[in-house]
Amino acid sequence: MLGLPNTDAVLVAQGVHHRYGDTVALNGVDLVVGAGECVTLLGPNGAGKTTLVGLTIGLLAGQGGRVRVAGGDPRRAATRRNLGVVQQASGLPSTLKAGELVAGAAVRAGAPRSAAGPVLDELGLDDLAGRRAARLSGGQRQRVALAMALVADPALLVLDEPTVGLDAAARAQFWEILARRRERGTAVLLTTHVVEETRRVADRVVVLHGGRVLADERPDALAARIADRTVTARTTLDAPRLEGLPGAVAVRVGAGRAHITTRTPEALLRVLLAQDPHLSELTVEGAGLEEAAASLTAAAVAA
Amino acid sequence: MSVRVFTNEVLEEMRGIVREPSALFFSVLMPVAFFLLFSSIFGDEPRAGVSAGTYMLATYGVFGVLSVTLMTPGIGVAGDCDRGWLAVKRATAVPLPIVLAAKVTAALPYALGVLVAMTVAAAGFGTLDASAGQLLRLGGVLVLGGLPFALLSLAVGFRASGNASAAILNAILLPSAVASGLWMPLEILPAAIGEVATFLPTYHLAQLSLAQVGEGTGLGHAVVLAGAAVGMAVLAAVSYRHART
Repeated sequence: MLGLPNTDAVLVAQGVHHRYGDTVALNGVDLVVGAGECVTLLGPNGAGKTTLVGLTIGLLAGQGGRVRVAGGDPRRAATRRNLGVVQQASGLPSTLKAGELVAGAAVRAGAPRSAAGPVLDELGLDDLAGRRAARLSGGQRQRVALAMALVADPALLVLDEPTVGLDAAARAQFWEILARRRERGTAVLLTTHVVEETRRVADRVVVLHGGRVLADERPDALAARIADRTVTARTTLDAPRLEGLPGAVAVRVGAGRAHITTRTPEALLRVLLAQDPHLSELTVEGAGLEEAAASLTAAAVAA
Repeated sequence: MSVRVFTNEVLEEMRGIVREPSALFFSVLMPVAFFLLFSSIFGDEPRAGVSAGTYMLATYGVFGVLSVTLMTPGIGVAGDCDRGWLAVKRATAVPLPIVLAAKVTAALPYALGVLVAMTVAAAGFGTLDASAGQLLRLGGVLVLGGLPFALLSLAVGFRASGNASAAILNAILLPSAVASGLWMPLEILPAAIGEVATFLPTYHLAQLSLAQVGEGTGLGHAVVLAGAAVGMAVLAAVSYRHART
């Protein structure tokens, strides 16, 4: 766990508790995100990610502990000038044009309307500035939401599933833009379902479960915690048969491929190859972040 | 900073209304159409010491302002809640009261448009008998008097979906209009409705409006409306605490 507080910290959460009625959402969470750092929140549904994000961006009032953004209380409007936020359900008003939305976001953050131009350009939206949100594709709307978050050069970016709807090229472009912002000192708090993508960009991964921090460490260190391997192949075997393979811990089937988690890949592969002579596109990889986080969570549940 | 932000918010709201005017179209068109219809029927009958056109400008003026201030902010904020846009605004550096005040302010020009259209129509029928000062006072009272209804509108919009808000607010608007004597004078309606009317803010706004073009100060009605505004503000605040965002 990191020491608290960090003098360069842009986001500091200390001993944060939060509950909804009898349900505990956060139970003593500590988190520090320093200038230029990118931290990814992982955890199953109900782990407390949304509550922590809600407290960070000032949507929720604190109940216990302390959350500070750039030294200020995010419930205060002035503090939120330091924030750039992309929320999951940030439906843009269909009647406003992309350029107006980004310029409006600049004004709300205390920046000049002219700040919109360079950001629209950076995100490849300059040709779409005059188009109403209703006539933008899902990916284009997501880029507008990102432009709105970036336009005032905030100290902390809070991005909840920011790459949803983006194609591969747009996602790569997005991570490049984020890297440039981080070089200038922008801190990033990220939640995403594209977990492996964050392995390349996140400085730290924080695994939440049941409102507690199970792990807060570098992505590679987290992945190295477990000895699991993932066997991926195109196979004619169905899920029940795959689950019956020796040493199979978890099986996921999608897009014509099977992903089998195991700690004994050699034994599993011998049987798999014998059962499916048409097996193709076989790969064996170390455990990913997703598996590592799932393993930690499963261990916490078992305890 | 605040003036700049407020102006930005108002302009965004007004752009939204202008570019997708279908909802407001009925809010503006219906009161003006009703005014024209009832003016053509009852336009020759002076009432309460003033000409029919002047009397109806006050009562239908209330209906016109009500149809804009009661419907537009609530349906707007409910739509913002539906699509997550209000949550986006709440995570910005703009205090929410500015966002909401902008929503109400953006609707006011349309309320004024209704009043101007009715004034022109009454003058065209030759049934308007009020000085410029009286008309200005009437306009001021109607715009300010719309505040409690705008707050009620927001209270509904925070809790109900866009479609449900439209239904709920219409269910408030139309009976309030009838029971307050905005469409037809209370004297020609059943006595029970007249008794209900005194409990309705819309009735007191109508009486206050009539006082601007007729006799009396309407002070008591102003006090009731001020109380209603406070009550609606509390209701809107409670509703916001339980908003869907």
